[in-house]
Amino acid sequence: MIAFVSGGARSGKSRYAESLARSWQAEHGGGLYYLATAKAAGAAGDEEMAGRIARHRRERGEAWTTLEEPVAIDTAIGQVADRSTVLLDCLTLWASQVLYASSLNEHAGVAMLRVVMHEARARALDLVVVSNDVNEGLPVRDAEVQRYVAFLQRLHREVVAEAEVVVQVVAGLPAYWKGERPCVP
Amino acid sequence: MQCFIGGAYAGKRAAVRARFDNPVWLTAYAGDDLETWPQRAIPGTTLVVEGWERWLATALDETEDDDRLRRRFADTLAALARAEREHGLLVVLIVLEMGRGIVPLDAGERRLRDLAGWLAQDAASMAERVWYVWNGLVQGMR
Repeated sequence: MIAFVSGGARSGKSRYAESLARSWQAEHGGGLYYLATAKAAGAAGDEEMAGRIARHRRERGEAWTTLEEPVAIDTAIGQVADRSTVLLDCLTLWASQVLYASSLNEHAGVAMLRVVMHEARARALDLVVVSNDVNEGLPVRDAEVQRYVAFLQRLHREVVAEAEVVVQVVAGLPAYWKGERPCVP
Repeated sequence: MQCFIGGAYAGKRAAVRARFDNPVWLTAYAGDDLETWPQRAIPGTTLVVEGWERWLATALDETEDDDRLRRRFADTLAALARAEREHGLLVVLIVLEMGRGIVPLDAGERRLRDLAGWLAQDAASMAERVWYVWNGLVQGMR
């Protein structure tokens, strides 16, 4: 199964996505992986980011195997055992790292994300993808920011089209755009 | 009249193309003037009108009276709805949601955001069907 979970900052989307991943793992067995696109080592100079990562880790508990990969999520998912559950958190950061911290372009980024979803299907992984909606404010004139928003939205539409479960989290509450309400503890 | 509302790159145009065959477009993004809509209102066809925030941004410079501007755009929406009824035409409005970010520091941007929000309300109130487009998915609001 593939799920897309989106919402605003501190909307409770990560917490919801973790619950969903845990419930899928409890149902199907296999490992439970947290694929973080933020790198704790890379955040050495950014105390706020380091604290944010530490807080997320504490809140997740020890059931998770954490993988950190800022760009090559296709390689990272290759390290995951078949039939596992993977939480990819989050697309917003990954999208910026693809555009601004790698040699990839939009086309290659979309292709990489498709590989990840294809791997999930081929190896019976459950995949939960977390992102943030940033496209409903005043349009930004800066061409680079526009390029980023367009790329992130493209990624969203790719995942949403493929996913069985699509959830918008508002104030911690899930609204289901696609799929039945899954059993979430 | 039908109205598709959603954020930037949410998939609004694709949603319209999937639902209406060979529509005629009036689009601010290609430099079309809003006032020229009657020339594209062809009986028996679908007219898609998009780029309202561009037309609003241009109109903002012409007057400081926001109430008047809102009325002027609402009058155009009403005229489109009337043409639809009287000439066997289907009108589809595409409206950009832009009210969910932080309040802009720039006064002109605040005006634009306010007027775009009012326009969305006015368009939705006149449309028989209203759709919210989010990440390529479409939800009926009315």
